[in-house]
Amino acid sequence: MKLTKKVIAPVVAMAMMASSTVCVSAADEAIELTLWGAEEDQNLLKDLVAKFEETYSDYKFNIQIGVESESTAKDTILTDVEAAADVFAFASDQIYDLVNAGALANLDEYDAAFQQVVGKSLDDVRAANSESSVAAATVDGNLYAFPMAGDNSYFLYYDSSVVSAEEAGSWDTLLEAAGKAGKKVGMTLSSGWYNAGFFYGAGFTTSRNADQSTNMDWNGISEKGISGVDVVKSMLNIAGNSAFQAVADGDLSNQINGGGLCAVISGTWDAQAVQGVFGDGYAATKLPTFTVGDEQVQMGSAFGYKFIGVNAYAENIGWAAVLAEFLTNEEAQTERFAARQIGPTNLNAVSSDAVQENLAIAAVIAQSEFGVIQEVGGKYWDPTATFGENIAQGKLSADDDEGIQKALDTLVEGVTAPVE
Amino acid sequence: MEKQSSHSATAAVGGFFKAIGRFFSEFGTAVVQGDIWVKLSLLWMGAGYARRKQYVKAVIMTILEVALILFTVNFAMDYVSKFSTLGTVKPEKVFNMQTMKNEWNDYDNSFQILLFSLFSFVVWFAAFIVWIKNVVNVYKLQKRAEAGKHINTFKEDLRSYKEEKFYVTLLTLPVLGVVVFTLIPILLLIFVAFTNYDQNHMPPSNLFSWAGFSNFLSLFGGGGLTVSFGYSFVRVLGWTLVWAFFATLTTYIGGILLSLLLNSKKTRVPKLWRTLFIVTIAVPQFVSLLLVRNFFSNGGIVNTICNNIGLTGFLRDIGLISTSYIPFLSAPGWAHVMIILINIWIGVPYQMLIATGVLMNLPSDQLESARVDGATPFQIFRKITMPYLLFVTGPALVTDFVKNINNFNVIYLLTENVYTTTNQAMANSQAKEVDLLVTWLFRLTQDYYNYKMASAIGIVVFIICSAFTLIAFNRMIKGDKEGTYQ
Amino acid sequence: MRKMKSNRTSTIVLHNVFIGVLAFIWLIPIIWLLCTSFSAGSGMNTSTFFPKEWSAINYVKLFHPDSVAQFPQWFINTFIIACVTCVVSTMFVLMVAYATSVMRFPMRKPLMNLAVILNLFPGMLAMIAVYFTLKSFNLTNSYIGLIMVYSASSGLGYLIAKGFFDTVPRALCEAARIDGCSEARIFFQVVLPMSRPIVVYTVISSFLVPWMDFVYAKMILNAGISSKYTVAIGLYKMLDKSLINTYFTQFCAGGVLVSIPISILFVIMQKFYVEGITGGAVKG
Repeated sequence: MKLTKKVIAPVVAMAMMASSTVCVSAADEAIELTLWGAEEDQNLLKDLVAKFEETYSDYKFNIQIGVESESTAKDTILTDVEAAADVFAFASDQIYDLVNAGALANLDEYDAAFQQVVGKSLDDVRAANSESSVAAATVDGNLYAFPMAGDNSYFLYYDSSVVSAEEAGSWDTLLEAAGKAGKKVGMTLSSGWYNAGFFYGAGFTTSRNADQSTNMDWNGISEKGISGVDVVKSMLNIAGNSAFQAVADGDLSNQINGGGLCAVISGTWDAQAVQGVFGDGYAATKLPTFTVGDEQVQMGSAFGYKFIGVNAYAENIGWAAVLAEFLTNEEAQTERFAARQIGPTNLNAVSSDAVQENLAIAAVIAQSEFGVIQEVGGKYWDPTATFGENIAQGKLSADDDEGIQKALDTLVEGVTAPVE
Repeated sequence: MEKQSSHSATAAVGGFFKAIGRFFSEFGTAVVQGDIWVKLSLLWMGAGYARRKQYVKAVIMTILEVALILFTVNFAMDYVSKFSTLGTVKPEKVFNMQTMKNEWNDYDNSFQILLFSLFSFVVWFAAFIVWIKNVVNVYKLQKRAEAGKHINTFKEDLRSYKEEKFYVTLLTLPVLGVVVFTLIPILLLIFVAFTNYDQNHMPPSNLFSWAGFSNFLSLFGGGGLTVSFGYSFVRVLGWTLVWAFFATLTTYIGGILLSLLLNSKKTRVPKLWRTLFIVTIAVPQFVSLLLVRNFFSNGGIVNTICNNIGLTGFLRDIGLISTSYIPFLSAPGWAHVMIILINIWIGVPYQMLIATGVLMNLPSDQLESARVDGATPFQIFRKITMPYLLFVTGPALVTDFVKNINNFNVIYLLTENVYTTTNQAMANSQAKEVDLLVTWLFRLTQDYYNYKMASAIGIVVFIICSAFTLIAFNRMIKGDKEGTYQ
Repeated sequence: MRKMKSNRTSTIVLHNVFIGVLAFIWLIPIIWLLCTSFSAGSGMNTSTFFPKEWSAINYVKLFHPDSVAQFPQWFINTFIIACVTCVVSTMFVLMVAYATSVMRFPMRKPLMNLAVILNLFPGMLAMIAVYFTLKSFNLTNSYIGLIMVYSASSGLGYLIAKGFFDTVPRALCEAARIDGCSEARIFFQVVLPMSRPIVVYTVISSFLVPWMDFVYAKMILNAGISSKYTVAIGLYKMLDKSLINTYFTQFCAGGVLVSIPISILFVIMQKFYVEGITGGAVKG
């Protein structure tokens, strides 16, 4: 053992000394930046980065593009903020956790640098994008990310050869038409993102506190005078219909390809898959209404955006901010739409003819009227997923008011539990 | 693990303290009875060697001492001095327009402080042992010199590492690897269980600090932070033990049966059959398990087939399911059974290989005499084969059980992102009915950054495993088995 | 007499048919993997067991990398990592096993007990600490870091090899010692040549580790640069929610390609495994 101990000490000491000496880099070296985007965006990002380097050809850049899905960006970034990319794309619901962990740079702090290099101020950026997208990117009055895409929400796709536009207006007629044709209507219930649509539609809310906990009123009576129990009953009736198919979270595109569906609630990311299956019957519209008592209530939706943010610990943070803006400006958003049919947030880009003619994006915009920007804490997701799964599996009975109320109370208790 | 278990743990502990006592008494004698050079070695580690003309050794020890001092002053003290608070300075920055970079203050990172403090403690501990050993050695040298015996040259010293001290040469690197990549991380996580390292206290932007036993309190339902943490813990622990029991037992028995079947004289082309079974374990688990999970998913191929042949409808008629599909991997009960079945699928071929190896070593004389006595094959199996198998594979059964308690792959790959719990109370603490303690703590760290609770759970897992292992080994192993084969 | 014989034939047939049925059940998912990998579609086929249209397009695609799938590159990466890991791990395992089995020294028992204790700790938990240790040496996103993770602690898995060394007759070592052999020579020239099964077993099993692991690899190679992945993370990422529909059949094809060499190794190892384990694992 003696030698072992004799060796450990100096090796460790040397290594430690080596790692603790600070490297000083030369000033005129290339500006190093790293960028994370979704797998599907890689080619587009390469083009945009090439354009960026062209635009600022006075400087030398070395920009590395990596793959990180927008939906999982937060998980990877928070594991080690310092190792994460300088500029990254993420879904808007992650912004609170990212800000809370200090991972996102407060862009207002770099406004001056921005004006100097790009020649426009953050206020110009704010004005160029839709108001709600900027609001979603703002935390405590500061802008923390640049809006990139404005279609991170869901709506109804249907096959117009099976379901008429009128029938697609309400769940009752939709399911009836589907049942007649021997087809099914697919929706993910086991996710707090999708199933909240029913509650938001009925006027219920969620909100987030400063300590990252969530407020939820679903077990009471909404401002529209609808009780949570009635909403659940309505959901149970829909889920119990033989023409309804509850689809597991993430399994939607699979089911679309399976060919058994004639209508499905999903987002623009599935547009191509749906188009392929529905063919000429391909159509999209806002979400249907659902029946509460004898009233028709328009379904709401959780409305989200995709953002590009800047890592607060980025080495070349000024340039990172410039790059992030470049990747989300009007030109970039137009190009993104052309390449991937992703709805822009930039007002000019939105008003272009190509965007306006796109069926799926038209449906997003139609639904956005009833959309709610979902402000929830981390404790929201697991309990609501379970709640939706219970409805999908018919674990609750539509006749059992007391049981439903109890289930809602437990749900609210779990969601609103303090964050330890 | 072999000898001391038969003497019971107390003897081992006693022996351990005796060894420590001997270690320090040697040191005491050396200090008291040693000459001035030995005493000087307390300060200058090379002194004694220099006096005995072992100059190379003297230089090495001196360099070592200098390195240690440098390490302590330049590195260790930066972190150890903050160990009691785990840091107080939060990051602050000023943006420099010229360089387009941020200028940061010298902020504290609680995690780094903890990690490097531990590192320093381990180094210091090692240095302490070396320091004591050094004095003892120098004293031995003095004795040899006084007795006029030969004192080794450096070359002779070196050669001893090829001879009687060959084990030092063999063990140095492996032990170093284990210390850095297993021991220190484990120590670190034990410490984290006593801090408040969670989503609201994440370095580098935030600091965390010591929190005493509060995490263990909330784990056992006393802290009142989350009502359901204690509840979920009991449920998850229950399934972990049930799973480990069945997973171990089914694959063990299945493996033996399969190997008996394949090794039977009636089997034609046993090699071909064996190879076919082995193919299933040769496919990497992340491929085979992810595949099977899609195979059995709610909208998967098996469900389509069951639906087409009317099985789904039948099950719904008799009230076993309430859904339009068979929830193979998405409802409690179904999923539990399926997971164990799928584990049989991947586990049995492995156990079959082991059992084949053991069965080849069956004492053939006993078998022969039993056959001559007219015993039936079943009697032979019950009276000879089975006791032998149990005797030989008993300890492996215990380690398999522990491995299954920590069997991350099977559960994670089969259920992550697929299984949604329908138990609201478990969902409220991010647990699922099919979770093992390890998969639960993995999710707590990966998705919720709740390192403090994950560490607390990890320590409990460790205590359960060690208690089980100790009891089982004490019961199962009698006598020293190392000798039986030599 | 004749009746008895035909009876025996029929039991033999039954016996083999039974094994055949079992083997068939065991192979169903593997057959599905193979079939799906030869499907012309790109998503999962949930309506029929066999693909509607057969094609080798997935294999062709695998060898024409796009930004997601860079299979040839992954294969090379994993192969390099596996080779180095294999050498280091095998050395460590055999060294520890030999020292604890053949040699006697004061720290032997405490070290062995420590190894047992360390093996009981859930390794998943230590992952984050390992990550930050590597990071402080600037070894994340490097193959050296990954190799260290795979092989540095491999000494802990010495038990099977030790069990095997225990069966080597001690008299041989004594004789060599009397002849004046050094301990090092006994290790290399007496014990190792007699332990071929366990050496082969250790080599193959440590070679396989990098092909199977996706948890550590995902954590350490976290820069998101696809061309640096190992096969395991590359394939794992193909099943990402947004990709599964376009890459599922390619995933299957990749799975088949990885499984072929591993299966061959396993079939070779089988013999040595059985021999090595007889002296080894079973003794604990």
